[in-house]
Amino acid sequence: MAPEKTPQADPAQEQPTECTAQATSAEPLAADETTPSRRDFLKSGGMLSLMSLMGAGALMSTSDDAQAAIEWAEHFQGNYRLMTPQEKAEARARLEKRYSAEYGKKVTVDGTEAQPNVLMGYALNVRKCIGCRRCVKACVAENNQSRGSQPGERLEWIQVLKMERGEFSKEKMDHGYPEGLGIQVGGNAYTPAGAVLEGEYHYEPAAVPEKDATYMPIACMQCEKPPCVKICPVRTTYREPDGVVVIDYNWCIGCRMCMAACPYWARRFNLTNPVLPKEEMNPMTHYLGNRPRMRGVVEKCHWCLQRTRTQGRYPACVEVCPVGARKFGNLLDPQSEVSLILARKNVFRLKAELNTFPKFFYFYD
Amino acid sequence: MKKLVSKILFLAFCCGAVSSAFAADTICFESRKGASEVTKHDIQPGLPNVKCSPKTGAVLWWGDPFEGTVPLGDMPLMGNILPGKAVVKPRSEKLAILPMCVTACHNGVTPPTLPKNKKPTPLPTMEGLLPDAKNLQHGRGGIWCLDCHHATQRNKLVDNYGDPISFDQPQLLCGKCHGDKLRDWRDGIHTKRIGEWATTGKKRWFVCTECHNPHNVQDGARNRGFPQIAPESPPQLPKGMKDAKHEHLPPVSH
Repeated sequence: MAPEKTPQADPAQEQPTECTAQATSAEPLAADETTPSRRDFLKSGGMLSLMSLMGAGALMSTSDDAQAAIEWAEHFQGNYRLMTPQEKAEARARLEKRYSAEYGKKVTVDGTEAQPNVLMGYALNVRKCIGCRRCVKACVAENNQSRGSQPGERLEWIQVLKMERGEFSKEKMDHGYPEGLGIQVGGNAYTPAGAVLEGEYHYEPAAVPEKDATYMPIACMQCEKPPCVKICPVRTTYREPDGVVVIDYNWCIGCRMCMAACPYWARRFNLTNPVLPKEEMNPMTHYLGNRPRMRGVVEKCHWCLQRTRTQGRYPACVEVCPVGARKFGNLLDPQSEVSLILARKNVFRLKAELNTFPKFFYFYD
Repeated sequence: MKKLVSKILFLAFCCGAVSSAFAADTICFESRKGASEVTKHDIQPGLPNVKCSPKTGAVLWWGDPFEGTVPLGDMPLMGNILPGKAVVKPRSEKLAILPMCVTACHNGVTPPTLPKNKKPTPLPTMEGLLPDAKNLQHGRGGIWCLDCHHATQRNKLVDNYGDPISFDQPQLLCGKCHGDKLRDWRDGIHTKRIGEWATTGKKRWFVCTECHNPHNVQDGARNRGFPQIAPESPPQLPKGMKDAKHEHLPPVSH
């Protein structure tokens, strides 16, 4: 890593010379008695900053620890979207080195870009979903989420919401219209379900599906007009050309504005240092995808970029679904599964009234 | 120092190999219990063929989606399925009494007790062999054994013309009645597929009987066609929350 350190150190050491040059250029104008003290002050200030930067440079050059050098270089890297291909490759190589040392196996950090003529889309059959949560666990097995036992250490990107199936039944005929609700916003006239999308996330029966229950898995909707992207103050989360909304974890400042902006509760925050056992770590990673995260950054579903882009494979949740409720495909290909569903089935989008235009469609037959 | 480390590593590796050889094989089920199963092993060092759920024993992750598969085979009237791109896991090896079905009892000979017309009649020998045969939960009394099973070749299913169908291609049989589902199955909508997601990619198709038990699709009041299974563990409770009882409270008006 030694040759990579020097280009980082050079501009840092050039900076103070500029500062002092400015100070000297101001000298002819200042002919007053009071100027020497000001000049001295500037001079000493310049010296101080020069010395501190030299100290930092010395710290960098003297440290033999490759790990520290990598972290140092990582700290000064730019926004991934604005990097040149060369810089991107360097950033990925740095990460591969760091992860391989940390997890004790060969870790690849891929950077496959979006392919032309691909707009990824997703469809989920809400009538088929049985609420078994296998997609949740498959996602964790694939995407290197934190899996500790302390509060805030277990992150899951997919939530499965259990709701009572709305029904016009004979027993409820005499109950009358719901009181206290100005406008009916969900369910039916007798069961005002869904006023704020009430339901159960923590259901744990012996067997699913339960009678009269409907299950609704929710994850990132990969919106075409994502509120999280609009609000991100450092523009670290953005929409890729193939439609996936991604995060450059290194550029994330952890302000959690995106979590507040997301209407689908899709984003998770690493409050603690992520707990990821070495043997459970998935070594096939993507820079914008499932590479291990650090404390203080936000993460979310990215449709398994390391699979869908690099290997061409279905996302992990699609493959694991035992009832085949989850479908993934190219929206620009009229023969893909998702396109055929859009053409043939009854489709809706969650919270369509918010004009976020999700590419995640719910359907039923 | 390095030698010592390598020796220790070697020892640890040997111990690991020995212990894994003695340990019982982990068998995980793929879609539902009783259908396709897979034995856990390593494809490469560090890369398992499957990752299984410690709670339910279900497969959560496939290292190689095409392991143990064969080509889908000839599918008449099924349109443009690219050759070699569709593979299935053969069902025959999962069906325990299939090998002895035809040779042991009938061997191509029509049993004398077999009814001459299509009317259902009790088949005492078969009912003795399969106690569940009387309690068929499919078709609401409208169908019986020989509507699906071949009369003389008992290791085969039967199509509309009385010709045998392999147990590996149950879709040809099921599509006789469930034509809409067969169309959706062909197009990848009513099915589970793993592999490459592109339309032209190689995929492993799951056939009807890998998910549905054809003798028990009505399944009581739920009536969804898929058996009940144990769910995976719920998400973590937020800090300070003891239980999730608040979720059972009636909805609050806002």
